[in-house]
Amino acid sequence: MDTVNKPISDKVSKLGYALTGIGLLIIVASFLTNKQRGAFDYLWIYMFLTSVGIGGLALTALEYLVGATWSVPFRRVCEFLAGIIPLLIILVVPLIFTMGDLFHWLHPEPGDEILAAKKPYLNMNFFLIRVAFCIVVWFIFYFFFTRNSKKQDTTKEPGLTRTNIKLSVVFAPLFFISMTMAAIDWMMSLEPHWYSTIYGVYYFAGTIVCTLAIVTFISIHLKENGYLNPRVSNDHFYSLGTLLFGFNIFWAYIAFSQFVLVWYADIPEETVWYMQRWHHGWQYVSLGLLFFHFVIPFLILLPRSIKVNLKVLKVMSVWMVLAHMLDLYWLIMPTYSSSPVFGWQELGMLLFAPGLIIVVFTMKANKENITPVGDPKLEAGLNFTL
Amino acid sequence: MAFDSTYTRELPLVDSRSSFAEIDDTVLAPTERKPSKKWFVAFLMANTALLIGAICVGYTLYYGIGMWGNNNPVGWGFDIINFVFWIGIGHAGTLISAILFLFRQKWRTAIARFAEAMTIFAVMTAGIFPILHTGRPWLAGYLLPYPNQNALWVNFTSPLLWDVFAVSTYLTISFVFWGIGLIPDIALMRARAVSGIKKSIYAILSLGWKGSNRDWQNYERVYLILAGLSTPLVLSVHTIVSFDFAVSVIPGWHTTIFPPYFVAGAIFSGFGMVSTCLIILRKVYDMENIITLNHIEKMNKILLATGTMVGYAYGMEFFIAWYSGNPFESFVFINRAFGPYAWAYWIMIACNVGFPQLFWFKKIRRNIGITFVLVLLVNVGMWFERFVIIVTSLHRDFLPASWGMYIPTMYDLGILLGSFGLFFTLLLLFVKVMPSVSLAEIKAVVPGAQPTHHHHSEEH
Amino acid sequence: MLKKILKLDEDLAKDGPRSSKVHSVAALFDTPDEIIHAAAETSNAGYDKYDVYTPYPVHGMDAAMRMKETVIGKFAFLAGFTGVSLAVAMIGYMSGFDYKNIIGGKPFFNLPASIPIMFELTVLISGLFCVFGMLLLWNKLPQISNPLHDTNFMKYTSSTRFGVAIEASDAQFDVDKVKSFLAGVGGKDIEVVYYPEENIVPQTPIFNRQFIYTLILVAIVTALGTYGAIGKLVNILPFDWMHNQFKVNPQNTSTLFKDGRSMQRPVDGTVARGYMPYEYTGMPDSLVKLLSNPVPMDEKSITRGKKQYNTYCSPCHGYFGAGDSRLNGQFPNPPTLHSKKVREWADGNIYNVMTNGQNTMPSYAKQISRDDRWAIVNYIRVLQRAENAKDTDLP
Repeated sequence: MDTVNKPISDKVSKLGYALTGIGLLIIVASFLTNKQRGAFDYLWIYMFLTSVGIGGLALTALEYLVGATWSVPFRRVCEFLAGIIPLLIILVVPLIFTMGDLFHWLHPEPGDEILAAKKPYLNMNFFLIRVAFCIVVWFIFYFFFTRNSKKQDTTKEPGLTRTNIKLSVVFAPLFFISMTMAAIDWMMSLEPHWYSTIYGVYYFAGTIVCTLAIVTFISIHLKENGYLNPRVSNDHFYSLGTLLFGFNIFWAYIAFSQFVLVWYADIPEETVWYMQRWHHGWQYVSLGLLFFHFVIPFLILLPRSIKVNLKVLKVMSVWMVLAHMLDLYWLIMPTYSSSPVFGWQELGMLLFAPGLIIVVFTMKANKENITPVGDPKLEAGLNFTL
Repeated sequence: MAFDSTYTRELPLVDSRSSFAEIDDTVLAPTERKPSKKWFVAFLMANTALLIGAICVGYTLYYGIGMWGNNNPVGWGFDIINFVFWIGIGHAGTLISAILFLFRQKWRTAIARFAEAMTIFAVMTAGIFPILHTGRPWLAGYLLPYPNQNALWVNFTSPLLWDVFAVSTYLTISFVFWGIGLIPDIALMRARAVSGIKKSIYAILSLGWKGSNRDWQNYERVYLILAGLSTPLVLSVHTIVSFDFAVSVIPGWHTTIFPPYFVAGAIFSGFGMVSTCLIILRKVYDMENIITLNHIEKMNKILLATGTMVGYAYGMEFFIAWYSGNPFESFVFINRAFGPYAWAYWIMIACNVGFPQLFWFKKIRRNIGITFVLVLLVNVGMWFERFVIIVTSLHRDFLPASWGMYIPTMYDLGILLGSFGLFFTLLLLFVKVMPSVSLAEIKAVVPGAQPTHHHHSEEH
Repeated sequence: MLKKILKLDEDLAKDGPRSSKVHSVAALFDTPDEIIHAAAETSNAGYDKYDVYTPYPVHGMDAAMRMKETVIGKFAFLAGFTGVSLAVAMIGYMSGFDYKNIIGGKPFFNLPASIPIMFELTVLISGLFCVFGMLLLWNKLPQISNPLHDTNFMKYTSSTRFGVAIEASDAQFDVDKVKSFLAGVGGKDIEVVYYPEENIVPQTPIFNRQFIYTLILVAIVTALGTYGAIGKLVNILPFDWMHNQFKVNPQNTSTLFKDGRSMQRPVDGTVARGYMPYEYTGMPDSLVKLLSNPVPMDEKSITRGKKQYNTYCSPCHGYFGAGDSRLNGQFPNPPTLHSKKVREWADGNIYNVMTNGQNTMPSYAKQISRDDRWAIVNYIRVLQRAENAKDTDLP
């Protein structure tokens, strides 16, 4: 087995630290100048990091669950991305302290019967319990998945794969419940009167697209710089590209389903959410999301030849990550402002998130193997051909 | 294979290392032998059901759809329930042939052909119901936009018209997908055929396929493109069926999760039916080597997964009905669970979410008897899911003054029975005259069927 | 089963007389590795009119044969694009232009509701193009009588073994050389395939006389069938018993009458039901009072009269006839019905006012039927009596 074990170049980690540092400074400044805007921006980037973290965990679990072999050489990338999950425990703190600025349901107008009826769900204590539940679930599974996977590097014991398969089976339903909970709590309840049963699935679709894009980007980068086994071929990247393409269509499908049902039935209590996103400049963001997240990537990624063109695929994966950011921005920010805002505060967030991902990734990559060398499926994964 | 296959779940696809000739003989045996007594008994039963259904359809045509139990609050009854049920059954076929193909799930090869045939027959059966429900089926041509003497065009904003396009596209594409899959196998049957008549028929049906690699190259690419097209197509069909309900403003129908929820339910019910039929087929035609216990287990896993997804949707609907703070929404769901049709609701929950949980246990997944009972329950549960969605949402809407009950008549039941009769008649004829396992595909995944990897890389 | 296959061999050998014209030389191979090797060697040796025959697609064969990528995918994309354009054009023209209908308050042509059909047509046209393009254009099927069919070679390559066939049309073709070449790369059961006798002169089927006759026959049958179907079948009304009933329809013929019309002119002086002529218009009150009330004063007529009175009269005269309705003061005040004048009027006078109007009051003959007007008169009498009740009225 020819594995490559060299540290990630200093340049990359320096870039990561620089971005994180600058981002952190801007976040602090943002909170100091306009607490509410800071809170909303921060929620935006917190949800993005949650996407990446739980997306990485979900892809790891998915590989075990379906018994895929081709993705084994990339699994560590997913696991490293899931390394953001422990950080979520710290990252969530500023949000807890600014909940009053974020959530209308914490201080409803007197006489608002609907919010009064929702009180058993939307109240501070239960909310905090749910937040804790989600993060704890993710953390526990993150801990066990990666521990077993890491242990396997040295022990080469195939039984650990079996353990992780069992874990993934338990994780699958818990993941869907916790992810739906997080999506409803942090984002849907920003507009507490509005509701949509598909919301959790929508967030899930975006999460997977975003994480697949990051995994694709990092994998191509690692491949270009010789960190991956040379047997990782175009067929592997073709599969990644196809998944990215497929899940992007899935996202569009879910988004369209939600939109068309609300649009068609035309019930005011539901359309209000879209009306907010169709006035005072938000309509350009909405249309932009349609083209930026779906139409253009769909047309670019459609041909077979593009999915094995690593240069284009790399650009498109960055594109899709930005698209997911735009998606979250579109979900969260209309509650804050009736017309789209983008200033140095938001830019700070845009620097902070990738910075943090780079920092986490390089730290993990320098400590652990980039390829799960002890995995019994690795050989089959490297031999994978279409 | 260098790795321990247990951990990759790539269990052997064909048991006991069957040779190509053995596979041919096993799969083609039903088409080359006189059918057994069992087959005739089954065929007779299916035909009886079909005849009962035909008589009930005849009555319906003669006297009109007043023969059915549909009434004023419940304007959609068995007709739409059965339509959605059968369309759903069809979805497993496309899932197996297209989605699992794209995911390179090689185990699909043993069951793909049969499931595709089921898709076509199920969609054909489903198509009967909305056409009958138009009341005057002989005027169904007006559903298509063609320049007619009334200078009318169809209503493109209606989800029922989307259904017309979706279902007919689905039937066409499934049919050609199935058809091109059959071509190489029929060419093989041509080469094996003894009698002149059979040979000529197979020669025409196989279009003179030679199996040359220059043909295979195009064939494989088209198969891939069709799989790529069918995957969103299969999603779109049940999505559009769900739109029939969800674009309305009826509580219990208008909910945004309907599209993915219907698709998951359709795949669930389809797999239930595929399992039901395959368990019988492998037994009757001694195909235990080709449709192995591993296949049954994989399908049971998919049943577990999709059943749980459906459970997620049930939960989500219930939660959001409460969370919405809308008294009508909450009422519909409470009425479902505790109203006059509560029995149907709990049958649905038990069969779709409850019993499939038994599939968590490996022993049960690999036990043919229990599996058979469970998949039958899945069929029942999914039929009741449509019953619950349609009837309970309609029978008590906003105004208590317009509440009512829905009781099917014997004509409803007769047509339902007849739809099963039609489906199984077609299926039995199919397994008699066509290879029910794709020979070209299954041979390609038999161990040793593909060149060894090192040799392959030398050629580059 | 094995015996059956062996017997099959004999049958196949007998199949159709073969000429002496060589189509190709074919060799069989047992394993996929062998066939890949043989294909690569054949390609390297510079043959181009050859093909590899396998029961299923063998991985890596395209590369071994040095084949170009197929372009079907690009055409499928174009077909899909055609589909989506067609859908937009169709819906745009039909819903947005030719037959505008407001449905659910949506715009005539709207994108969200068009997307399902746009998608379906994309898939339909792209899928059908792929399949028929692949079969007809790329693989040139149907080709039912290729010389390779019904040979021992084809029997094996469609089932269990793999084969290479080098065709006689290749520039380097020479039977013996090719035979030894194939043997050299490991080919077994090398076979020379001859054209079947009827196939020696390749004939375009279009100029085949039988084909043309069949075509003409099909055209005639189709034309007649279509004519019959459109002219007769389509116009048949199934279950038409509500449409055709035993009754005389207006504007139709009838054998009952001499002039053959179903509609007859009424006899002179016929009065239509409910249209009794009113002869007291413009006459002085003293004459009008001779008009007598045909409607008896009973509970039924009073109830009816009350309903009609409340609907038509009360807006001005008030619910109790006192002339005190909500419109009081906005018009010349309507008079009370309890005045001495009205009380002393005969029923005919009140009826006359309702029928012809008086001062500002218009005629109500159009709105209220004759009997209802009389019923109102009865009700007015009840109101008048109630207003001037005597002690003796009490029970």
